[in-house]
Amino acid sequence: MINNIATPSFNNSYDIAIIGAGPAGMSAAITATKAGARVVVLDDKPRSGGQIYRNVDASPLAKPAVLGADYLKGSEITAAFKRCSAEHISSVNVWHAGDNGELLFSLEGETQRLTARQIIVATGAMERPFPIPGWHLPGVMSAGSAQVMLKSDGLVRDGAVFAGTGPLLYLIVAQYLRLGVKVKALVDTTPKQNYLSSMSEITGAMSAPGMLIKGLGLMNEIRKSDTKVYRFAEGLEVQGEDACKSLSFSISGSKHEIVTEHVFLHQGVIPNLNMTQALGLKHTWCEQQLCWTPETDNWGQSSQGVIAVAGDSSGIVGAESAAAMGRICALRQLVNIGLITEQQADHEAAADLRFMRKQQHFRRFIDRLYRPLDQHRKPTNDQTVVCRCEERTVKDLKQGFALGGREPNQLKSQTRCGMGPCQGRMCGHTVSELLAEWRNEPVADVGYYRLRSPMRLVTLQELSRFTNLTPVSTVDRASSGTSDSDVEANKEQELAQ
Amino acid sequence: MTTHKSEVLVIGGGIQGSSTAYHLAKRGVSVRVLEKDTVSRHASGVNAGGVRLLGRNLAEVELSKTAMERWQQLDDELDADTGFRARSLINIAADETDMETLRSREQQMHELGYFHEVMLDQHELRERLPHVAQHCIGGVVSEQDGYAIPFHSTQAFRIAAERIGAIFCEGEQVQSIRKVGDSWLVATETQKYQAEHLVNCAGAWADLISVMIGDNVPMSYSAPMLMITARMPHFATPVVGAVSRPLSFKQFENGTVLIGGGAKGFADRANNTTRLDYSLLASGAHHAIEFFPIMKTACINRMWSGLEAYMPDNLPVIGKSIRADKAYHAFAFSAHGFQLGPVIGEVLADLITEGESRFDLEPFRVNRYERKVL
Ligand SMILES: Cc1cc2nc3c(=O)[nH]c(=O)nc-3n(C[C@H](O)[C@H](O)[C@H](O)COP(=O)(O)OP(=O)(O)OC[C@H]3O[C@@H](n4cnc5c(N)ncnc54)[C@H](O)[C@@H]3O)c2cc1C
Ligand SMILES: Cc1cc2nc3c(=O)[nH]c(=O)nc-3n(C[C@H](O)[C@H](O)[C@H](O)COP(=O)(O)OP(=O)(O)OC[C@H]3O[C@@H](n4cnc5c(N)ncnc54)[C@H](O)[C@@H]3O)c2cc1C
Repeated sequence: MINNIATPSFNNSYDIAIIGAGPAGMSAAITATKAGARVVVLDDKPRSGGQIYRNVDASPLAKPAVLGADYLKGSEITAAFKRCSAEHISSVNVWHAGDNGELLFSLEGETQRLTARQIIVATGAMERPFPIPGWHLPGVMSAGSAQVMLKSDGLVRDGAVFAGTGPLLYLIVAQYLRLGVKVKALVDTTPKQNYLSSMSEITGAMSAPGMLIKGLGLMNEIRKSDTKVYRFAEGLEVQGEDACKSLSFSISGSKHEIVTEHVFLHQGVIPNLNMTQALGLKHTWCEQQLCWTPETDNWGQSSQGVIAVAGDSSGIVGAESAAAMGRICALRQLVNIGLITEQQADHEAAADLRFMRKQQHFRRFIDRLYRPLDQHRKPTNDQTVVCRCEERTVKDLKQGFALGGREPNQLKSQTRCGMGPCQGRMCGHTVSELLAEWRNEPVADVGYYRLRSPMRLVTLQELSRFTNLTPVSTVDRASSGTSDSDVEANKEQELAQ
Repeated sequence: MTTHKSEVLVIGGGIQGSSTAYHLAKRGVSVRVLEKDTVSRHASGVNAGGVRLLGRNLAEVELSKTAMERWQQLDDELDADTGFRARSLINIAADETDMETLRSREQQMHELGYFHEVMLDQHELRERLPHVAQHCIGGVVSEQDGYAIPFHSTQAFRIAAERIGAIFCEGEQVQSIRKVGDSWLVATETQKYQAEHLVNCAGAWADLISVMIGDNVPMSYSAPMLMITARMPHFATPVVGAVSRPLSFKQFENGTVLIGGGAKGFADRANNTTRLDYSLLASGAHHAIEFFPIMKTACINRMWSGLEAYMPDNLPVIGKSIRADKAYHAFAFSAHGFQLGPVIGEVLADLITEGESRFDLEPFRVNRYERKVL
């Protein structure tokens, strides 16, 4: 792998640009480079690995094994990724991607632009917002951020309460416990009835017994510790004026309150939509996962010819399927650019496609079992903050709705909800679902925010320094006609006079 | 199928169409607005909100002055919050050439009896804009100017109009127009409308409507781009422009800074979309920093563009149709039509109910290019 930054030259573009170096992005890069494609991978983290394998080759923990076998498995794929010929540009935020193959990102205080014939979006997932009263107070974080602190800096919070539902929540609690950190309580919001309704999918889940056993193992681990577990909790509220003082909830009608300064919330993950939405890809509402997903075919091809979406950013699939999907997307794009034939792609993708189909059964089970409560997605309390950037509450949105903000973009213009720096990541799903309820129409008819670049904040100075970036690598191209002999020497386009 | 009847049909639910509906409804005229998307979805909802009289083309000064007076009381009149703030607008002179441009403009304006543009020397400039770069040597100010929130302003006209009986139909794209006897018959995909008077306020699509009415215009359309920063400490009260540089910005009360400057992206009006040209935005960023170094670290939060219609002389088309009776145009505001909104509705209402306007509309004739072309 070539780790340094390309010297800019003109008239040159990559075959495939991959955004995100998680399992999906890394495996796509490995597959694509094997076939001789000129590949660049951009990721905003210093190291490859994505969410699940964050820092797997440089853990701050003395015994990274506490993070689990799945985590350690990541060192194989990250090693293979490092060996491949893809250019890896790390620590860069891609803040614009266009369906014309243009990518813009900030690097060392400058805006760099590169172009690629094909783009694979592999930007992963984010945690589903948990809009309950007080979720915006200092002291309240997502369980995922607790894990990020752990994986990146080895930091933990003693005596915290974890609340919500979903496998990732239990995994993080287990990771905490293995480190000997005291967890004050796990407040599980998985409703009783989910256990019943998910049973109809249990045969499907049996197709992936390993996953099932893993999940049960985590629950056992937590139960065996002295962590207090509350099950079937609902009506979660964080209490406190300027900071978290306690978490209250009820279980079959009886009230509970746990005093704590740290609450970690989690109710599953949803695709990180900013990139796919800003690209203008078609999205549909996925009732099974209660989220918007970009429309893709089996090969990850989106509604725009040159763009594929792989991994969790296409709909939550989990790490192994993400890797499989990365390979599948890459194969399709290799066909698109003429490096392999369709037959080759069909052949090489067969096993992965089979695997993904099998995994879908297991997904259905998981999604049914951990389907978050309506009341924790669609806030009813007038004071509950929906948009954290602009501090807009349910009441503000109701007012905007009454004034004609019937659709997310109108409501945004009316109330500023979703106009802040997070670009609506934290409120977009809530707004879609609330409007659907108020209009008494399906979420699919309500739609989502129209998004625009930049996907991350860019300083004016960064933007004003604008440079074009082209491939450094010359690759062996058995089957391709393009030669790289025309790689030019430094040529920079400085807009600053 | 029933045909929906009204005295007037307005095509386009931007600020011009909404203001026209408001002014007509106020006079008791029954009016219906047909909007293909949603009201204020296009230029009128996404523009830079600049309410500018400064530097207007001489042909527009009277209209713009009248509009400016209306803006000062518009919230009361419409019983709404348009977000209008009179903050003054300053165009900065970066060098002696700029100052010379300003001096000759001043002389011309004074001769015509206009005194709302006042020149500033370097000291006065710095007093009003303490963070302006050292090399800026003066400027010109118009005190009444300011900004408003475009989406809220357009909606304010719409809601006020609806209160007094105007009807707005969203998702209704006009597909054909026919004149039968004394009536205009207008069809959308599923509905039919009939009216005595027809108004074309269709923004970046107005040439298409114009052709259906019978008037050909050399209108073009484009996608001016904007960017807005995250909140920053307060550093500029007036709205800021430059005499000869593509610079324009305003800092809102919440601290965000909206940066324009006229750079244009790529427009695709058939699909309601635009594409940004980032290298041009980059040079816009460069100009902003050059004039206000404090903005170096400003964080851009969003960039966007809207579809706007232009005429070759950058003046709008306002007035009666040439080819057809009881049809009227108001479009191609060439990136400065938002400020004119309050007065355009009045002009059109006058043309419809009185048959004439008190303003000189000669420079805005729809056929002003016909003779020149041949
Ligand atoms: C907070 C969190 C923690 C998780 N922890 C686990 C776990 O411990 N175990 C588990 O099995 N699953 C975990 N998951 C689920 C996880 O998303 C999948 O298992 C798997 O990592 C998906 O792989 P991916 O390649 O699709 O995306 P990811 O692994 O998420 O990789 C996407 C990468 O793209 C980068 N990126 C995103 N946007 C940009 C941009 N604009 N510019 C540059 N780079 C960008 C991200 O930083 C990330 O490195 C977690 C999910 C989240 C949200
Ligand atoms: C980025 C940008 C910045 C700007 N900044 C400023 C500024 O600071 N100050 C200023 O004064 N001006 C500014 N302008 C210009 C100003 O926004 C416009 O001149 C003004 O909004 C035009 O209003 P309108 O009603 O004519 O057009 P629009 O707002 O475009 O409305 C026309 C409407 O007609 C509808 N329509 C079109 N065809 C049909 C059809 N066949 N059937 C039904 N409906 C149809 C469209 O959907 C549209 O909603 C800016 C413009 C842009 C794009």
